[in-house]
Amino acid sequence: MTACTGGAELLIARYGEMWLKGKNRRLFEEALVQNVRAAVAPIAKVVVRREHGQLLLRPERRYEEVARRAAEVFGIASLSPARSVKPRLDDIVEASRVALAELVETLPADRRVPFKIEVRRSYKQFPMTSAELENHVAERTIGPHEHRLRVDLKGAEVKVGINVRPEQVYVFAERRPGAGGLPVGTIGHAVCLLSGGIDSPVAAWMTMKRGCTVAYLSFHSSPYLGAGSKRKIAELVRSLARFQPTSRLLIAPFAEIQTAIRDHAPEGYRTILYRRMMQRIGSRVAATERAGVLVTGESLGQVASQTMENLTCIEAASSVPVLRPLIAFDKAETIVLARRIGTYDISVLPEPDCCTVFQPAHPTIRGRVQECERAEEELDVAGLVDRAVEGIELREL
Amino acid sequence: MGTVLYLDHAATTPLAPEVHAAMEPYFAGGFGNPSSRHPLGVQAAEALDEARRRTARAVGGRPRDVVFTSGGTEANNLAVLGFARARRRRGAHVVLGPTEHASVAEAGHALAAEGFEVETARLDAGGALDLDDFARRLRPDTVLVAQMLVSNELGTIYPVARLARLVRRASPEAALHVDAVQAAGKLDLSLPELDADSIAVSGHKIRGPKGAGALVLKPGTRPPSPLVFGGGQEGGLRSGTENVAALVGLGAALELASDRAPETAAAMEAARTRLRERLARVGGVRPLEPGDRLAPSILAVRVPGAPAEVWQHHLEVRGVMTSVGSACQANKGGVSPAFAAAGLSEDDARRVLRLSLAADSGPLVDAAADAFEEVAAELAAEVG
Repeated sequence: MTACTGGAELLIARYGEMWLKGKNRRLFEEALVQNVRAAVAPIAKVVVRREHGQLLLRPERRYEEVARRAAEVFGIASLSPARSVKPRLDDIVEASRVALAELVETLPADRRVPFKIEVRRSYKQFPMTSAELENHVAERTIGPHEHRLRVDLKGAEVKVGINVRPEQVYVFAERRPGAGGLPVGTIGHAVCLLSGGIDSPVAAWMTMKRGCTVAYLSFHSSPYLGAGSKRKIAELVRSLARFQPTSRLLIAPFAEIQTAIRDHAPEGYRTILYRRMMQRIGSRVAATERAGVLVTGESLGQVASQTMENLTCIEAASSVPVLRPLIAFDKAETIVLARRIGTYDISVLPEPDCCTVFQPAHPTIRGRVQECERAEEELDVAGLVDRAVEGIELREL
Repeated sequence: MGTVLYLDHAATTPLAPEVHAAMEPYFAGGFGNPSSRHPLGVQAAEALDEARRRTARAVGGRPRDVVFTSGGTEANNLAVLGFARARRRRGAHVVLGPTEHASVAEAGHALAAEGFEVETARLDAGGALDLDDFARRLRPDTVLVAQMLVSNELGTIYPVARLARLVRRASPEAALHVDAVQAAGKLDLSLPELDADSIAVSGHKIRGPKGAGALVLKPGTRPPSPLVFGGGQEGGLRSGTENVAALVGLGAALELASDRAPETAAAMEAARTRLRERLARVGGVRPLEPGDRLAPSILAVRVPGAPAEVWQHHLEVRGVMTSVGSACQANKGGVSPAFAAAGLSEDDARRVLRLSLAADSGPLVDAAADAFEEVAAELAAEVG
């Protein structure tokens, strides 16, 4: 039924080793299997099995899409399209021959690429040693490609891998990088403040990469802003939704807080005070969402509100720890990631976010916590926060 | 005329009830312009977002790489003209598949008039795509290759993924465009699997509405130059206020088609096999099955005696709706390449009937075959 016939029928997905020690190993592996299953299920029926410290995926159809999707699942270190054959010599040679021919098609034609055959043999009863099998296969497969390949055991740029197991032998050539990181759901839960800009979606992605699930909290200044900015936020969350099982977007009304700050606080402090209120609302949401931390897209010194002093003022209003995965990132580095994960094009849509409402002409660069607290004495902080939390609109995406 | 035995699904299909229901809200209350900033506009934009996601998912692409068009023809035009023009500085050589739909072939003529060197690949003696010949035509300055996935005339499936490997190696500057209008919903349509730069799909071939189609681009490919200029909709690639209801319908139809593709293919295959068996037993009727693989949706036959048109009208009196093979190329009056490769003379080519199936055609097959037998007897009596 596939429109085209790629040769491999299996995918070998390898996972990182760092966390494979100790009692948590099983939990991690189970979470990973579950996440891989959930990720590929919408594409096709895929049998996912754990075997000898790696995952085997057998897609019924849409092989390439399944491969690409699986490569995005956190915890996967690398993937290889593979064939499986019975542990019979002729079958191994034939599968290697086909895998090699496919590999050669992807190689540059202007030089001979260093290459080797690498056997791993956990089936010790197999009648040949690893080295013998390597030679046997090499002698029978390289012939037609000698002008494109040269055997180089130490400096090989490409290889055909042969894993000999008692029941099955897996033959593969290509090795694709996986997303790395840890299986989502194994580390904890976080609330990510999402602005609609370029940075915060990347911060959310990085948080998921390290094994956290993420709920999104955004602020909306209706009627100063229209429904378009909500649509943009929802699109951002949707584009990140593939990285975790379910995504919850909470949108808190923010206009009342902004007008109160505009009317009662020094203009230069507006942005800092907005953000302090966001931290308070975020801390409340973290409690109800059972999240351990807040995550923001802040980067040191990137804008006026992100000086060290202002970050200090902002964080002081939070009652839970604030993680800033992008703290040392240049904008350009963040943009590279945003493009890769697919949020960039949405982030640059010309929809204002709530921070632009009543934006001060000259924001304070070196805010002081005491000043913030003094300004907030003029506000009904608790009441404003309560009403914002009560007004939260939830979207499950 | 009693019961209609509609066997012309390659021409168009009836709207699926689910698709109709999905479109309904956007005819009346949800009339907003997706570019408007008020809630009615945003609601329409969100409907388009969802349609874009569904379209992308159905073909294995990304939502932001979906360019909605007025149908398959515009999608093909945009790819052929747009890709070639956008890459003009890198070369001016174009290779088109041997049996392309007019919306590709005629766009190729337009490119030739602009100074592009446009070649047409060929089929081998068995009616399959001649990949060796194709490979010989590919050059470093080739900027566009267009190859359909399923022949609208005979149902042949062409090996696009294998062609893609040849194109990538020989013509790194080339965009590979795939007209998948007849493939959607019958084959598993997957942009990454095909490794194409773009594929064109159409709504009304898969129980969606007419006037809605899409060109879905490969992530990161240099986009085509637009053909329609204006307000910058569709990422600037296709200006003009979007036909929201129709595009919502397209998204819904593609999703249904894609989800059901395996079952649809199996049901079509069964119906096609039965129809082929029955028709092959009608004296003088010969199934045409060129190439290595055939789509389950199309059965073309050469009919004996009278020209296909006469058969068509005799069949339609009995409620059987078919299509006369596009025997003559509009420009030259010769035999179409697909027919020539199937071994058909000019005279044969006038006697090709195309029957095209849907997932639910099975129960109609025997009645249609009965009609064929009646027509065969009637026409034979006339000749005699």
